[in-house]
Amino acid sequence: MISPKSRKNHQLRKKYTIQLGENELVLKELDLLEDDANVYKLIGPVLVKQDLAEANANVRKRIEYISAELKRIDATLQDNEGQQNSKREAMMKLQQRLQSIQAGKAKA
Amino acid sequence: MGHLAVRRSAFAAEFTAERERMASSSARGELEKMGIDQLKALKEQADLEVNLLQDSLNNIRTANARLESAAGALNDLSLRPQGKKMLVPLTASLYVPGTLDEADKVLVDIGTGYFIEKTMEDGKDYCQRKISLLKSNYEQLFEVLAKKKSVADEAGMVLQGKVRQLQAATTS
Repeated sequence: MISPKSRKNHQLRKKYTIQLGENELVLKELDLLEDDANVYKLIGPVLVKQDLAEANANVRKRIEYISAELKRIDATLQDNEGQQNSKREAMMKLQQRLQSIQAGKAKA
Repeated sequence: MGHLAVRRSAFAAEFTAERERMASSSARGELEKMGIDQLKALKEQADLEVNLLQDSLNNIRTANARLESAAGALNDLSLRPQGKKMLVPLTASLYVPGTLDEADKVLVDIGTGYFIEKTMEDGKDYCQRKISLLKSNYEQLFEVLAKKKSVADEAGMVLQGKVRQLQAATTS
């Protein structure tokens, strides 16, 4: 009962969870550094020297962003599940009505 | 490599909820109460998850092996004197001669495209830390796998029993 939309959401959620974890690991390592340590960021094929404070800020911002996205996707997933459930209930009710009508016809 | 250690937590989160459901129905009695179709679906689901867990475990082992070889390379590097002649790989088949600069500073890939300069000492420590982190992740995942496997096996056995019952009933 997994619609393609819901599967995409689950994959997205998994991707975000992995990214969040990776960024948190990076932040932990950055926190262990002395203030004058050298930090480099890989931009394409180039290693660019970065300021430790800037790297920290960037990683923190990404963590915030990913957490917000995760929350949003969780809410969407909950929503979809709720919709699916109510549709399923409606379907069951219709089926029951159909069955009772058919039973009524058969008796008559 | 960092993300491999994290995948465990992603899986663990998804599986904990399921595990609780499974734990409540892992009693043989509950399994017996389920219909054949339900049982089949449950077993297929459990088998799928066992395979996923196996894959993750293999990934962790690979990552650990790479980390161990990195730690070994670091150790070797620390033994080499500065100015030592060496061959530097430019591609998989092209090496150029060079001399070893001071081996006290190393660049560590910490993930998401960030590299940090560390001393040889800290570099070795980094490797050790990651290796132990992966080891503990491996053990935790292994536990989850063992439990999931037992659920899948139980479901399989109950399913076989029911199918045999059904066949006996229809043939008699």
